[in-house]
Amino acid sequence: MQRRSILDQLKSWARVNSPWAIHYNSGGCNGCDIELLATTTPRYDLERFGIKLQGSPRHADILLATGPATLQSIEPLRRIYTQMPDPKYVVAIGSCALSGGVFHGCYNVLGDLSRILPVDAYIPGCPPRPEAIIYGIVALLNSVRNSDQKITFTSDIELDIAEPVLFPRERGEITQPNRQPHADRYLRRES
Amino acid sequence: MKNDLPAMFAILIFPGGLSLLLGGLMFEWIDRKFVARLQNRKGPKWYQPLADVIKSFSKEEIVPAGVNAGLFIGLPIVGVTTALVTGLYVPLFGFAPSHSFAGDLIVVLYFLSVLTLTLGVAGANTMDHFSLIGATRTLTQLFSYEAPFMLALLGPAIVAQSWQINEINVYAQNHTWFLFSQPIGFIIALIGLMGKLELPPFDAPEAETEIVSGALTEYSGRGLGLFHLGQDVEFIIGITLITTFYLGGLANPLEFILKSLGLLLVLTALQTLAARLRIDQTVGLWWRIGALLALIQLIISIAIRKLI
Ligand code: SF4
Repeated sequence: MQRRSILDQLKSWARVNSPWAIHYNSGGCNGCDIELLATTTPRYDLERFGIKLQGSPRHADILLATGPATLQSIEPLRRIYTQMPDPKYVVAIGSCALSGGVFHGCYNVLGDLSRILPVDAYIPGCPPRPEAIIYGIVALLNSVRNSDQKITFTSDIELDIAEPVLFPRERGEITQPNRQPHADRYLRRES
Repeated sequence: MKNDLPAMFAILIFPGGLSLLLGGLMFEWIDRKFVARLQNRKGPKWYQPLADVIKSFSKEEIVPAGVNAGLFIGLPIVGVTTALVTGLYVPLFGFAPSHSFAGDLIVVLYFLSVLTLTLGVAGANTMDHFSLIGATRTLTQLFSYEAPFMLALLGPAIVAQSWQINEINVYAQNHTWFLFSQPIGFIIALIGLMGKLELPPFDAPEAETEIVSGALTEYSGRGLGLFHLGQDVEFIIGITLITTFYLGGLANPLEFILKSLGLLLVLTALQTLAARLRIDQTVGLWWRIGALLALIQLIISIAIRKLI
């Protein structure tokens, strides 16, 4: 492995020791979210690792995504991911986020989060226990410690995110972004 | 203790500048650690605030659409600078302030408000609704606690007959603690400091459960880190000010450590006990009770002065 400069080492030290997270549920049954919130209670004390749950994507380093990504929530999920500043990581929590789980094959879900986001760690379980979630995040941090390669991610799904309309009155029109994309775009069933 | 260090050294390294920043981070860690212990958990490691700040600086900074980019980039610098400037006029770490002139008390109070003001303007600058509401709340709260806090610090100034922080410091060292001669003023100054630092129960401006993170919602990377540093500096300066005024002054570093840590633990315990107040409750509390009590305290001390 190439030797890294002191500045790079300092950066990755800080990155490993201060991962701030944001949580988004893209249409799961809420079981994973309850476990995730239990993880942030004093009993499990995430602050030991410097993990802090943030409200704003702009402050976050890790996206904790649960749920199978319903067609409604694909766009918000991608939007949150694009709003986060680099470098950023994604952790998929729960069987739903891994493969669709109990929703596998449903007409309205995508199933595997890695089809729309570059997922860095998977935490299986339906729902995973708080210990499992902590273990998964710490495993991700350990791999961040030793590498700083750029992730190149290509999705098989073309997704254009609707531009927010900032000055509707100046433009003299109020455009409605097309928020309900057609299901056929996402679901490519094995026939 | 006398302070005869070269001016540049005093501004950049000690007691201002670098050591002020590190002191602020240390105080933040003690605060977070103690909150964690009160909640029966282990809490963060000692370098946690430092890691947070370095990480913020090493991240990408996104300038969102619809903002004035110059303001967006410049405001955090203005905020952190004004907070650092105040370090020159207060007896930091128990050393005599490196600069001092008649009336520097007013200047310090003004500079401490500028940080809050930049926070408000930064929130109003972005198009985001959450940061707009956060900015409104920040400024509303600024106007409510500022007057009582000011009045509470005027009490000792009037008794010591000086508007110079250094002279008040010397006066406080040679007389009974103002904590005992002006107890109402002390309580108001303490709670005013909590409002200034936006600690619970006065954290409505950055209420995470309601408005994401208030005025700073759109800030990422460098700007966020700078505001974070500015707030830490304000934290240590505010605690130093109140210790100087009400806890018998700061004569040497040992006294600084003991007194400011004592005050810090009281602040932390108070913030763990209390739940968040609504913004209208905060304003009502300050103007109906805080300002009135501070005025009464002031009138009593003036009357006693006239009689003796
Ligand atoms: S993985 Fe299980 S618990 Fe989690 S959201 Fe899906 S169905 Fe619910």
